[in-house]
Amino acid sequence: MAIYLQTLVNGLMLGALYACLAVGFSLVWGVLNVINMLHGSFIILGGYLTYFAWHAYGIHPVIMLPVVAALMFALGFALQRGLINKVVSAPVLTTLTLTFGLDMILYNAMTYFFTATPRRITLDLGAISLGPITLPVDRLLGTGLALLLTLLLYAVMRGSSIGRAIVAVRMDRMAAELMGIRTDRIYAITFGIGALMAGAAGVVFATIFPITTNVTGIWLGKAFVVCVVGGLGSVPGALVGGLVLGLVESFAGHWFGPQQAMTAGFLLMLVLLLTRPTGLVGVKGYE
Amino acid sequence: MSDMGLLRSARLALLAGGLAAGLLAAGAAKAQEVIKIGAPLALTGGLADEGKKQDIVWKMWVEKVNAAGGLQVGDKKMKVELIEYDYQSEGQRASQLAEKLINDDKVQFLFAPFGSGHTKIVAGVGERYQIPTIACVASSESVFDQTFKHLFGTLSPNGGMTTAMVKLFKEKYPETKTIAVLGRDDVFPKSMAEGIAKAAEAQGLTVAYKELYPVGTMDHAAALSSIKATKPDWIYITGYTQDLILARKQMQDLGVTAPIVTMVTGPSYKEFTEGLGKLANGITSSSWWHHATSYTGEGVWPTTAAFYEEFKAKTGGDPDYVHGSCAAAGEVIADALERTGSLDKAKLRDAIAATDIQTFYGPIKFGPNGMNLPRELPIIQVQDETIKVLAPAAIKNADMIAMPK
Repeated sequence: MAIYLQTLVNGLMLGALYACLAVGFSLVWGVLNVINMLHGSFIILGGYLTYFAWHAYGIHPVIMLPVVAALMFALGFALQRGLINKVVSAPVLTTLTLTFGLDMILYNAMTYFFTATPRRITLDLGAISLGPITLPVDRLLGTGLALLLTLLLYAVMRGSSIGRAIVAVRMDRMAAELMGIRTDRIYAITFGIGALMAGAAGVVFATIFPITTNVTGIWLGKAFVVCVVGGLGSVPGALVGGLVLGLVESFAGHWFGPQQAMTAGFLLMLVLLLTRPTGLVGVKGYE
Repeated sequence: MSDMGLLRSARLALLAGGLAAGLLAAGAAKAQEVIKIGAPLALTGGLADEGKKQDIVWKMWVEKVNAAGGLQVGDKKMKVELIEYDYQSEGQRASQLAEKLINDDKVQFLFAPFGSGHTKIVAGVGERYQIPTIACVASSESVFDQTFKHLFGTLSPNGGMTTAMVKLFKEKYPETKTIAVLGRDDVFPKSMAEGIAKAAEAQGLTVAYKELYPVGTMDHAAALSSIKATKPDWIYITGYTQDLILARKQMQDLGVTAPIVTMVTGPSYKEFTEGLGKLANGITSSSWWHHATSYTGEGVWPTTAAFYEEFKAKTGGDPDYVHGSCAAAGEVIADALERTGSLDKAKLRDAIAATDIQTFYGPIKFGPNGMNLPRELPIIQVQDETIKVLAPAAIKNADMIAMPK
């Protein structure tokens, strides 16, 4: 029994992290119809910024969170404004190739400057024991931050005029333009928010996972699966997708061995693609 | 066309002709005087750190050889030229670049890149063109069982790493009854996970847990929770540095521990101890070479200490087994050239196969499959964030300690 409780808790904590990692990717894909291949590298860039601030100046990752978020927003905004906007209405393969190329530049620049050596932030906050289950404090903190960020984004999307404009553009670009929304600006803001969320996820991840350019592709792959499972372009979609993927990987790892954990995740993705291409909570028309 | 124009064209043509002739002459002279070694290297991408280790010691070796006038071939000395290309950690590109090195650059020897997987790829190209390929970072027997005649490896088979370890740990902790094994599903880590389970069973231990995790796993919580439930006396995890750092940290987080914790080959790399700090303490491992050994032999570095000092002066850090093994790979070529006294491909291949030398890195003598012969390999442990050698007795510098609580 204890092992199932532990597996459940492991899965939920992992799932919240997956949600945080995917929400920005999902938003950009849903609103801009751009598959942002840079997303994994953005996460690691956020992680490196956090690591070097902590390592060189002793700045706590929680304090770095708003700083990294602001920097990444600026980077995302500028990239979209200067480059991606020029091809944003081209077929999806064009934007995919562009972001893929940009990713190769960013990825190799990071490997060149920071090397691929895995780095780690040693907070080592210990663990809390609740009866038979163990809760690692840093993961708990990460989970809390991940959920907080995701909910914050949700609130922005629901309550602010920018959020409403983003949703309007996602629903119907033409109509939104006719209503006076400047879509290219909304695109840049959305891409900025996507980069911001990736960077923020990087800060959270830096306290939990090794930071190395080797894993950018892995995080990008997870973001893909979460989007397909949960549904594109919405915060609840990413949240549900993340939690479901975390739980599936956790239980599959326990029952069938770790070798099958990722297989189970991809199997779930395939089944959903066949039966429910909009994802678990996706909106029709955004599959 | 005006006269001026004609004149200019004629001069240009003359100049071009002269240049071409000069280049050709220089090329011919170079081809005669220089031994060319080609190396497809992972200088960017996921394996960049490992690739750079090879790069640094090969350059040190070439510099030293050339400073001494070059390598002895027959009655003359020939300089060495190392031609490196970055294959960006992409196996496919490594094979293309190996072909380019052989066809365009006309190298006489190849150095294989890091790891069993990519070594296999490059060795396949070397075999096709009958170019001797020296592999310094491949230890899986599955790389050397392809009946390749031109592939030679300076690492000993990794089979030698398991039996001795089980024996040592059982002597030290006779109450050790069960072992839990978690391995990365990849050429070398998988063969080590399977090897240790077999060796443990053969010596009377019970394997309480044995699973592989796929490449790209970023969470070990499920596996570690399952291992915790079996309460093993010994936890043995294989993988690359980032996997092992994550696994060690998650063990700490989830309160998973055992009197003996082994990670292969984590502590062989300084990145592992640097990344983990105090958490690395108590972790045991095996390696192919350690700079605490004291071998003497032929080549540009007469003793292990000489290599260590020079490496330290050059880089500021300690060399690990990748540095040692790759620096010694050059000596294999030097020795073969000296014994044959010619650049004949077939003679050189046979000479390398008959290698029997002592170097700062230890003895090098290739078995029938091209691998360096088995020898006693160091068993190491992290104590106070530094690497101590537990065995073999000749280079032991510390007693084994239990995992700190």
